[in-house]
Amino acid sequence: MNCKDFESTVHEIVSGRAADKTRQLEALEHAGRCLWCALRLDEETRLTENLQALAKAHHVQRAPARVEEALLQAFRERTRRANGPLFALAGKRFWRRLSWGLAFAAIVTATVVIVLGNRKPGVPLLQHRQPDSGAQAASSGPAEQAALDEWTNEGTTGFIPLGTCDDSDCLDDAVVVRVALPAEALLDFGLPINNDWVAGESVDAEVVIGREGVPSAIRFVN
Amino acid sequence: MAELIELRDEQLLKMMRDGDEDAFTALYRRRQGGIYRFVLEMSGSAALAEDVTQEVFMALIRESRGYDPTRGSLAAYLLGMARHHAVRLLKRDRTYVPMEEGGRDGEKSLPFSPEDPQWAMSRRQSIEAVQQAILSLPEHYREAVVLCDLNEMSYEDTASVLGCSVGTVRSRLHRGRALLLQKLAGGKKAEASRKAIDPSGCLA
Repeated sequence: MNCKDFESTVHEIVSGRAADKTRQLEALEHAGRCLWCALRLDEETRLTENLQALAKAHHVQRAPARVEEALLQAFRERTRRANGPLFALAGKRFWRRLSWGLAFAAIVTATVVIVLGNRKPGVPLLQHRQPDSGAQAASSGPAEQAALDEWTNEGTTGFIPLGTCDDSDCLDDAVVVRVALPAEALLDFGLPINNDWVAGESVDAEVVIGREGVPSAIRFVN
Repeated sequence: MAELIELRDEQLLKMMRDGDEDAFTALYRRRQGGIYRFVLEMSGSAALAEDVTQEVFMALIRESRGYDPTRGSLAAYLLGMARHHAVRLLKRDRTYVPMEEGGRDGEKSLPFSPEDPQWAMSRRQSIEAVQQAILSLPEHYREAVVLCDLNEMSYEDTASVLGCSVGTVRSRLHRGRALLLQKLAGGKKAEASRKAIDPSGCLA
């Protein structure tokens, strides 16, 4: 071992960290022959003793009791909240997500309830008639099927407001009534009459009758 | 409570997660001293050591699942947190109160009570000089000296706390001790005289 090797390992030797006992013995042997390294060993030994004395002096140092009290209080509070009825099942993140989900579900449910509440069977308000597979499946007899097919194949105009309904409230509980009108009624709404029209001929129309029994819209059936 | 003392840190942590207050208390009492002393020795401030100790365990209460056993011991994890908090607070405050200027509760006095007052005085001065020399070291050397020499941590645990390699810890400790010796011997003058007796080319 030379001085450079000694220097690189002296602090580990004096602090008992040298893993290799043979190397430790070599270092001590070297210090016995080299004045400079002997001095280095001496000052490192004194430094280690001072550090150990300082560590011993600090060994009794502890955080004050008030820190433990504050922490125990925080721990109890945390445990109490964690064991609450809602938080017992999952963490905060889960409940945040769930509350967003519940809010969304409530909005969707309210929308569906409003729409269904306003909708009556056979009241396709302001909608063009579309084939309904559910209705087709529900009809059992051939007569009912034929009526349904005819109904779905009918062409209609759009609903024409009659100017008696200013807001959606007047359409609450509205019903649609099919009526027969003189063909001339088409002209009153600016609609054309077929060339093969015969005087006294009638046309079918569907009239939306509002809550007060007042007709609010009309559409003509082809 | 007595049987909890037998349990490992990781077992206590698991029980603590399940709301066991005694397990938390046992873990706190086992580890708080090391954390408190580390910050005290790093900063010289008892107030800072107290604050950091509290913050570390508060963080453990809030996020006890943040500890990953594959990355080191719980003690090293807690000291790493303490180091992080201490560095943050020191940077915020810029200055800290050295021990001889007094911390809280009159903790400036080192607990010596030997029978010979003269010996005690000399010993106390010597240790306080070491303490001041440590406080004047650059931070990364100070950390190595405090963890390895004062807290007798292994190189591996120290490397885990500091987030560096074992080789880096060794070299920082070596350099830190060399700087300490310089400071204790009176700085450059002592270093010069030490070099004067250096038998150049000694390859004995």
